[in-house]
Formats: sequence, C-alpha cells, structure tokens
Amino acid sequence: MTDPKQGISEADAIEQAKQGHEAAFEVLYHLHKRRVYSLCLRMVSNPAQAEDLAQEAFLQLFRKIGTFRGESAFSTWLHRMTVNVVLMQLRKKGLPVVSLEETLEGEDEAPRKEFGTKDLKLTGSIDRLQLQRAIDRLPPGYRTVFVLHDVEGFEHNEIAQMVGCSVGNSKSQLHKARLKLRDYLKFMRAEKAKTG
Amino acid sequence: MASLHGASLQLASRRPAKLGQTNLGQTNVRKATVVTLVLATCLASAAFAETKKEYSFAVGPNANISVDTQYGAISVRPGSASQVMVTATLKSDRVEVDLQQMGNRIQIASHLLPGADEQTGQVDYEVLIPPDATVSLHSSTGPLSAEHLQGDLTLEGPDAMVNVRNVENGHVHVQTMRGPITLTDVRNGHVEIASISGDVHLKSVSGPLVQVNSGSGKIFYDGDFGSGGDYKFTTHTGDIEAVAPADVSADFSAHSVLGRVHNDFPLQPKQHSRFSFDAGRSFFGTVGKAASEVVLRSFSGRIRLKQR
Amino acid sequence: MTCSDVERVLPEFLDGAPDGALPDEVEAHVKSCPACSDLVSDLKLIASQARQLAASEEPAPRVWVRIAAELSAEGLIRDPESAPARPVFVPVPTSSDRRWSAWWLAPVAVAVLAAGSYVISHKPVPQVAKQQAPATPVTAPAAAAAAVTPAPVPAPAPQLLAQKSAKPESARSGSAKSAGAVRSEVEPAPSAEDQQFLSAVSTLTPSMRTTYELQLQAVNADIRETQAYVDRNPGDMDARQHLMDAYQQKALLYQIALDRIQ
Repeated sequence: MTDPKQGISEADAIEQAKQGHEAAFEVLYHLHKRRVYSLCLRMVSNPAQAEDLAQEAFLQLFRKIGTFRGESAFSTWLHRMTVNVVLMQLRKKGLPVVSLEETLEGEDEAPRKEFGTKDLKLTGSIDRLQLQRAIDRLPPGYRTVFVLHDVEGFEHNEIAQMVGCSVGNSKSQLHKARLKLRDYLKFMRAEKAKTG
Repeated sequence: MASLHGASLQLASRRPAKLGQTNLGQTNVRKATVVTLVLATCLASAAFAETKKEYSFAVGPNANISVDTQYGAISVRPGSASQVMVTATLKSDRVEVDLQQMGNRIQIASHLLPGADEQTGQVDYEVLIPPDATVSLHSSTGPLSAEHLQGDLTLEGPDAMVNVRNVENGHVHVQTMRGPITLTDVRNGHVEIASISGDVHLKSVSGPLVQVNSGSGKIFYDGDFGSGGDYKFTTHTGDIEAVAPADVSADFSAHSVLGRVHNDFPLQPKQHSRFSFDAGRSFFGTVGKAASEVVLRSFSGRIRLKQR
Repeated sequence: MTCSDVERVLPEFLDGAPDGALPDEVEAHVKSCPACSDLVSDLKLIASQARQLAASEEPAPRVWVRIAAELSAEGLIRDPESAPARPVFVPVPTSSDRRWSAWWLAPVAVAVLAAGSYVISHKPVPQVAKQQAPATPVTAPAAAAAAVTPAPVPAPAPQLLAQKSAKPESARSGSAKSAGAVRSEVEPAPSAEDQQFLSAVSTLTPSMRTTYELQLQAVNADIRETQAYVDRNPGDMDARQHLMDAYQQKALLYQIALDRIQ
C-alpha cells in the first residue's frame, strides 16, 4: 500500500522501521492511527484511555517490528495486537470481557414489546453520533463482541479465540448487543421526535 | 549581629583593616590571600586554627550570588539592597576561599588544598544579600539555609540538610541525594525539589508550581494547596502524606501502583482520569472549585490525604 | 415457524450468507410477519452502519509525540546520521586529573535526564522538556539508549524489550510479591556506566564513596523492580511512567556525583 503523501510504500516503511528510522515509524503510525485509535475508543468509550491504549498498541508493534516477516498483512497484525492490548486492559480492570451466558434467553423480549409493532422502524441510515452513543451505553461484555464483529470485521472464530469464549457465545453476545442497540436507538429517536 | 569589619581585598598590604572601616567598590580578585582577622581558636595547636574571614561586595539590582563549598554550612539571609556581605569560617589552613566578582555576579568557592579532609576542609559561610538577589548554594555536607528572601534560589548538596523559610515570588530549586529538605512559608513561586532518599517536608508552601520528586524519601505536605497551582508529588518507594483544610479547592489525582492510598475528603468524581480504577490504590476527584491541581503518585509508597 | 423460533435461530443465521439470505423457513416467516421483518432489517442495518465507525476517529497529535519519545528512550530509533549507539568510553581516569575525571558522565546524565523529561502524561509535553531536547548533544538519544538499557542484560535494547513484552502476565496479586522477590535478589554485575561511576566516586572519602555505592544500589534496585512490574503489566501506563522516573533518579544520582567530582 503506497501513501502518495509520504512517497513511501508500507513495505518500505516497515523495512526502514526495522533499521530504526524515525520517519518510517511515523509513516506507519499515520497509516494506521485512525483504525487503532477508533478501535480503542469504541471498546473503552473513554478518549483519554483510548489514547493510552493506542499509544501502547503502537509501541508494542514497533518493539516487535523486527520479527515481522510479512507472512500476514501488517494491518492484520497491528489490528490483533491492538485488540490484545485493549482486552488485557479490560481484564486488568476486572471488567467482564464477554458475558458468560451461552444461550439466548428471552430476557430482552420485554423491552422490545414495550415499543410494540407500531413503532418506527429504523429506516434509512442511523445517525452516526447516535450509534456511537448507543455503543457507549452497551455493557462492556456486549460491547466487546459487537465492536470486534460489526465495527472491526473480525469473524466469530477469531473473536472466540481472542476473548476466550466459544463461537456460540460470541454469536449470542453479538445478537444481544444488536438488540440492545436497536432499543437504545429507537429510544433516542423517540426522544428526539418529542423534542422536535 | 556582630559588627562587621571590612577587609581590604587588595593584595598589596598586610595591614589589618581598621575597626569600623569598610571598603566598598571592590575589584576583581582571584585566589586572594586576604588580610584576616584571626579570632580566638578553640585549640592551641596552630594546625587547626579556625579563622574567620569577612568580605563585602557592592552590587546593583539583579545580583547573582553563588557559594560553593565541598564541606561546610551555608546560610543566606537578607541584608542591604546594594551589598553582599560574606563571613567565612575556615576550619583549618588546608582550605582557601576563592572569590570572584564580575559586575553583579559574585562567586564564592572553597578551594581544598592537598591533604584536606571533611573536617579540615570545612568552611562555613554566612551570607547577607539583597532580598531579591538570585542565589545558588552548593555543599556536600551542608546544612544549607535560606530565609526571608524574594529572589530565585538554588540549593544543592548530596548530603546537605536544606532549610528554606519565608520565601516569596522566586523560583526555589532544591536537589539532594540524602539530605532532608524542609520548606516553610514559601509562596507564589515555582518550587522544584528532587531528592533520591531525602525526606521532604513542606509546610505552608503554595504557588503556581510545586513539584517534588523523591525516590525513597517521604514527602510530607501541610498546607492549603492554594494559588490555583499545579502540585505534583512523586515518589518511588517513599510515602506521601498530605494534610489540608476542609475548605481546600483542588482537583486530586492519587495513584500508587503497589501501595495503599487513603483519603479523608469527599471527592466529586471526574470525567476523565488517566488512572485505572483500583479503589484501594487510587482516588481522584474534586473538592470545592477545583482551583488547584494536585497529582500524587508513587510506585510502592502509601499515599494519604488527610483533613486538618 | 413462530416469532420466538426465529428469534432463537437468528444469531446463527443473520450473518451467515454473504448476500444476507436466510434459510427458507425463516425467510418465509419473516416475509409474512411485520414485527420479525422489522427486527431483521433493523439488525442488519445496525450491523452495516457499524462498519462505518471503523477508523472514524482521529487521535490527538500528542499520541504520536509520546510514542516517538518512548521509542527514542528505548533506543528503537537509530538515525544513521547521528553518532553510534553506544557512547565511546574513556579509560578510567587517574586521580591526578580530578577536575576532568568524570566529564563522560555529563552526556549520560544529561541524556537520561532528557529522555526522562519526555513525560508520558495527558498534558502536552511541557516547555521545559522541549527546551532541553534541542540542547542535548546529537548523541543524546543514542546515549540515552545506552543509559536506559537495563543494567544486567548485555543484549541490544530492541530485542530485549521484544522478548520481555512477549510474555505478558496480568496477575496483580502476584506482582507485589514478585516485586519483593526481585528486590531481594543478588545484585547483578554493574553495567559499564555504573562501573565508571563507581571508579569515579572511588576518589572520594571512604564514607562518601560508600554512600554513593549504596545509593546506586538502591536506584538500580528500584529500576529493576519497576522494570519487572512493567514486563508483567505492559498496559500499565502509570507504571511505565514510574520506570522513567526511576531512570531519572539514576540520572540525578550521576549528576550529583558529577557535580561533586568536578
């Protein structure tokens, strides 16, 4: 991948970073900073913490760059490293990375029934800010799987391996997260409609 | 205060200065062998004759005085606004005092002669300076003391006990290895203290910046964290203990990686904190209008914030 | 199929086919049931909109500043134009040349101080640090690398740190005990810089020399203890800052010794 602004390809930047050239590190940072930071921010909902985590992710990457042989895509490597950094932080704080229930219970039916069938379907596109706020409101366990799957595009088997749960658990967590988000978004929309 | 006998700084004559006479308008001097007044010594033996020497320099505004001695005490107090008076007590003849004046800059240093040791090489200095002069003191053994001043102060010494009292407006910079450091009534300036294993006591110290770094030394603070300042106390293994009144106005962040923390104040929580949420090892939040920022950090020391 | 049947199998099938097609029985029910139809379309919408959030946020410039500072401090940045990675050490000076015996300590002490002054905190890099950085000699980052390399291990810095951070452990309860264990371990052989520090202070009086030696032991132990903690808890930013502080303490010790020897 070549960044015309920098005039240097990612592969070259990696090689030069292995030699310790500061400019090469900087190129790699700018190429991936948004992805890394956004992932951290979505997972912890706290900009200050997200900055610390993004910083740590890049540092770990740069420390190990000597061992990168190019077998997989660099961005994949960085992506996974970032997830590990965040998950480690969540575990350290004692927050649940993923809830442990395996099966989908009927617990979420009640709130949905409140809205009834006559409620507004979430048509068209969802307001990005509202979606961000809704994700922030998710309990940490649900949020992790949702962010990793729907936002970041990891597969369930990858998620299961990273967070240490089963594939079935990952799928049910994701479903619950989406249901909850749907409720929040409908609620926000209803509130907005009230205030006009 | 003993009456001062001015001593001529010219090399030429060896006649003693007349009582009551002071010579002003001194010139540059290098390694002056100065006419001295020899006071009574405690030992009969000539080898340990303690001698007292007095010097006087005329200075203008923004004077800059530095006193550097390997061994011995240095104490600085305010005197006249246009003069620097130095009294040096030399413990033996194995040490000399070097002096230099370049305009408003005065440099005084002890010069050890061969064979000098910690006892024989000792020179104690008492210095009177213009109250707003800039002062820099170095002594390995100390103690170092500065009182009732308004200029910038630097006090450094590996083993020196450091005492600063009633200083206002200036920068106060203190650095020791083991020497304990005490600041009392220091207001309205930048305070920067670094010690490796010396304890640091701050009583009624406030200002725009109060920064203390210690390795294994403890930090004690008794004051109001006032002036809307930045207070940063950091230790590695030393404990941090702060006592403040109930009406303090500050934003507190405290975190010890391995040690326990304790807090007496009801804190309003903050939105963004950079510390992890280990209840036993950190506390953060605001009291009052959060005018000042107080950051207490330790690797393994205890941190205690108490109400007076 | 009933609504609750659909509910139960949705997690399994909603993301299954790339074109979003559901199994026939499910599809049949959904087509005929407004509530389930809404549900399915809502969930698909949420999933697809979420994709837009990836890489949507830009971090503040200070994040790069801190990363660069840390890379520099860890010796991972080696610019070809500057001096070699390790400072050239002069032979042990003789006591007759006391005034200049410890001049080599100056760049080390200053460099470690400069490295330590890149405070990893939320505030922007303070002015003091910015002013210090240009003033240090060109060898400063490289010298800092040499100075901050953990004393007992001779391997070059980047590989060393890569090895250490490859074994993360998050047990907090164990760390305090282990930290204590680290403290009581046998003192490792002094590094090259420490050896020169020790020979420089050997020219002082015996009591002062012992004092300096004990202080050096203490700051080295602090550094080892903190490094060990950081190795086990690589995500702990505050501990990392304490490690930098510990190196700064060592630089302070070198500087105090340097002042005295000169």
